[in-house]
Amino acid sequence: MLGTAILGAICGMLGSFAVLRKQSLLGDAISHAALPGIAIAFLITGVKDSNLFLLGALISGLVGTFWIRSITKKTHLKSDTALGLTLSLFFGFGMLLLTFIQKQPNASQAGLDTYLFGQAATLLEKDVWLIAIVAGIALLILLIFWKEFKILLFDEDYTKTLGFNTRFIDILITTFIVITIVLGLQTVGVILMSAILLAPAAAARQWTNSLEKMVILAAIFGSFSGVVGTGISSVSGNLSTGPVIVLVAAGIVLLSFIFSPKRGLLFREIRFRKNRNDIKMQKTLAFMYGIAKTHENISHPHAIKILNGFQGFSKRSLQKLVDLNYVEIDGQQWSMTQKGFMTAANLYNQQVENSHE
Amino acid sequence: MNSAQISIQIIVTLVAIACAIPGTFLVLRKMSLISDAISHSILLGIVIGFFIVEDTSSPLLIFLAALTGIVTVILVEFIQKTGLVKEDTAIGLVFPALFSIGVILISKNANDVHLDIDSVMVGDLSLAPFDPLLINCQEGIADSCINLGPKAIWVIGIILLVTLTLLIAFFKELKVSTFDAGLAAALGFSPVIMHYGLMTVSSVTIVGAFDAVGPILVVALMIAPAATAYLFTKDLKRMLLLSCFFGVVASIAGFWLAHILDASISGSMTTVLAILFLLVYEPIITSIIVSSIVGIGMVLYQYYDAAILGGVSFEGYQLGEKLTYIFSKFVFLDYVYILGIAVVMAAFLIYILPKRGLIYGYYKVRQQKTEIMLLVFLLHIRNHAEESERHVKHLNEHINWQRLRSQSIVDLAKKNNMVTVSADNIISLTEKGADFTEKAIDYIITNKDTEIEEMKDDFFLFRG
Amino acid sequence: MEEKYAITVDDLTVAYNYKPVLWDIDLAIPEGVLMCIVGPNGAGKSTLIKAILGIIKPIAGTVSVFGKSYAKQRSLVAYVPQKGSVDWDFPTTALDVVMMGTYGSLGWIKRPGQKEKKAALEALEKVGMLPFKNRQISQLSGGQQQRIFLARALVQNATIYFMDEPFQGVDATTEKAIINILKELRKAGKTVVVVHHDLQTVPEYFDWVTFLNVKKIATGPVKDIFNDDNLTKTYGINYKVSVQE
Repeated sequence: MLGTAILGAICGMLGSFAVLRKQSLLGDAISHAALPGIAIAFLITGVKDSNLFLLGALISGLVGTFWIRSITKKTHLKSDTALGLTLSLFFGFGMLLLTFIQKQPNASQAGLDTYLFGQAATLLEKDVWLIAIVAGIALLILLIFWKEFKILLFDEDYTKTLGFNTRFIDILITTFIVITIVLGLQTVGVILMSAILLAPAAAARQWTNSLEKMVILAAIFGSFSGVVGTGISSVSGNLSTGPVIVLVAAGIVLLSFIFSPKRGLLFREIRFRKNRNDIKMQKTLAFMYGIAKTHENISHPHAIKILNGFQGFSKRSLQKLVDLNYVEIDGQQWSMTQKGFMTAANLYNQQVENSHE
Repeated sequence: MNSAQISIQIIVTLVAIACAIPGTFLVLRKMSLISDAISHSILLGIVIGFFIVEDTSSPLLIFLAALTGIVTVILVEFIQKTGLVKEDTAIGLVFPALFSIGVILISKNANDVHLDIDSVMVGDLSLAPFDPLLINCQEGIADSCINLGPKAIWVIGIILLVTLTLLIAFFKELKVSTFDAGLAAALGFSPVIMHYGLMTVSSVTIVGAFDAVGPILVVALMIAPAATAYLFTKDLKRMLLLSCFFGVVASIAGFWLAHILDASISGSMTTVLAILFLLVYEPIITSIIVSSIVGIGMVLYQYYDAAILGGVSFEGYQLGEKLTYIFSKFVFLDYVYILGIAVVMAAFLIYILPKRGLIYGYYKVRQQKTEIMLLVFLLHIRNHAEESERHVKHLNEHINWQRLRSQSIVDLAKKNNMVTVSADNIISLTEKGADFTEKAIDYIITNKDTEIEEMKDDFFLFRG
Repeated sequence: MEEKYAITVDDLTVAYNYKPVLWDIDLAIPEGVLMCIVGPNGAGKSTLIKAILGIIKPIAGTVSVFGKSYAKQRSLVAYVPQKGSVDWDFPTTALDVVMMGTYGSLGWIKRPGQKEKKAALEALEKVGMLPFKNRQISQLSGGQQQRIFLARALVQNATIYFMDEPFQGVDATTEKAIINILKELRKAGKTVVVVHHDLQTVPEYFDWVTFLNVKKIATGPVKDIFNDDNLTKTYGINYKVSVQE
């Protein structure tokens, strides 16, 4: 439980960087690329030692990252193809090795299977310690190089002109992303690792416009889904941890997409409606202005009936105009106030200006 | 070869071709990862379909699964359109979520459902030949059915046939909409219809291949042959043919590799695909490594067979121990034999493969660099009439090259009769040099996107 | 003698994938000029700036800043990239972006403090963006975003400014505001180099011009060399612009 909580936090933190660098699917590729490393580590040593597996996974994950970079750099293949190639080819090779291992006499390969879907229950105390230590180091590096990370993420060319060694910062970020993924494999599994990296960050992005807050929020979301997911999966017995954590995280993303006050779809819709109502009201006002203008006394009363044919008119927009003190209603008659006339005149002038531009 | 082996090979070949065709378009449209997303999320469709019909090969199941694939694409595009996250993030969010639901549904109902996650993930071909399509069965009478051969062949064969028909019918439209969506729209082919058509075909193909090779290796079969072919050619027709060819080679070679290693067929197929890609991507190094492994493998296998025939039992041996045992039997001639195979094969591979990769790259880069530097040098001489700028020494100081390099450039220019160096080390262009420089500049300014290789051939006798 | 030039470029050649995009450029930019680089699309204007700033490695040639190598004089130079080169949906505020201009002088690890914040606020004031300091950058208009970039360069308090298409996609007000700031900079003795697209405004905005199309066509004071002859040489077709004296 503690393990997945810390893991979720560090995934959220580093995932924010991956999302902002448009490397969202790098996590997917690396987690798949780690599989042959695990298999080879087992094949060479014949021992089932999780630290050894981690080392193997780390090496082949880094090789995969390097491969993706060099393919996009040296050929005309695009990054999506490079990612797809890496993840499927490495994984296929890993599968070959795994099935080969299963035929070997000492293949109690149960430990290897958990890497597909993850099983938090297999986390031992020393694994948790390892995760905690790595998370601590990552946090420290993050605090030390915060400024450098931020500027590199935003504007790489500019960072170079300021005299920073961008390659160093880049390697630092990428290495930590790879390490995190490798650590997460045991808990969440190969296939769902990318989601646990992305989801908290994508959700956090909706709630804030500051990088600091985004990283912190992502860490909180990450550890929340870690804890809740592990909890549900341990209560209900035969559920793998990975899918449950991912679903919790996906739920958070969904809620964020809909309900976040600044960017959320719900509030966007509300704003959109409000805008439309405002425009309706303005149109009515402009129409009234057109009528009132022809009279010497702007507050000369007119019948509400003449408004009926007008498209923008509705009872609600009229009521709103009254509330705003632009119009007064007396029985079946309406008349414009001084304030309403001025506002309408301004509106009219603006429209004329806009159409000239 | 027995009939089961033949059927498996037919199945994998059909799967490879069926995947390679939509895969080519996905690679060209920079949508490779959509195949990854679809292949994972259709698990949900398969699971739901299975709950409804309880039969893994019913058409309804395939339909439902393909529908999930299309829903995935629509979801990804919807999330993308909201502008809340970038496209790749949208993909990365949608498919794990759908996949997770699928996995949870399976494990919640694991007791009464005959669906095994492991085999779903890796695919299982070994049983496919024994699941025949039977028609015209009469109740109660044994052997009354007409056996039409393995069901999988029929399923994937029909998918392939439909794909091929669509490809031939809409080849022109697909081509235009892939390379220039704007033009396609102007010509009246809706890029949207093309897009969703391609997505539908991809989904259906993935579903058909899913059984055989599992979700991740479907991605390999779609992307890897197309990517390899793309390194060979940029012509769409040739690329399609080549990627089908690579797919077929990989599936048959993969089948036999799996047979030898006694490992999963899909894993072996992917490994062969990886080797094919590497051979094209990094020809020299990979050729040498692959040839050596093949050489050693051939000799090893002979010894292994001989040892088993000779009554040696490897029961309980570790892989390492087995290898040490066999290597201990090697005689000098075996190493010569291995070396022979490796050298011949590597030479052949290097000869037929395109000239690219690290070692060629190093050579080519050096050559191109020298040529460009030569051009720079000639241009510099042309631009400057004053003698101080044309002194040999000046090159070191101003153009910022090391002495050795400037010397070699001057020598090259002299060898090609492009410059003359006077007694006091002042360089001037010859007529040919001036002519060449003029043309090169013109060429570069007017044809920004093409290489100047052809033009250079007219002038160079000696290359750097 | 070279001392009076702010930037001296000697025999600079740049190639992408071994295809030359800039050829043997010799360029001397005098101190205190407001210079624009003009040329057709793909002429290598941005590349020239990036090569001078060391973002792209040239295959031949040297760049010196006040007679010394660029690496030693980095702090004297500020760069305004093209607006389209960054992701404006990045979660940060206008003030934060401007603060980034101080990172160079801070060096590694050190954090910006009150002093840096004050400098950033002053720069925002100068470009008229102070009211928007806490605005998320995606909610700024194109012109406002460009002003933020300009402010970020101003914070660097450099002697030489390089700007890549600062007038692209900005409204008329912003264009005027930017050019006023540039003219102020020149008055203060700074050197400004701008990649520019709109030939019509060259005589009005700038006093020095460089024509570029893969190689350098001409460079010098606008009133001397901004003529149909050079324009035709640069753009290939018979180009006519009435030059106002």
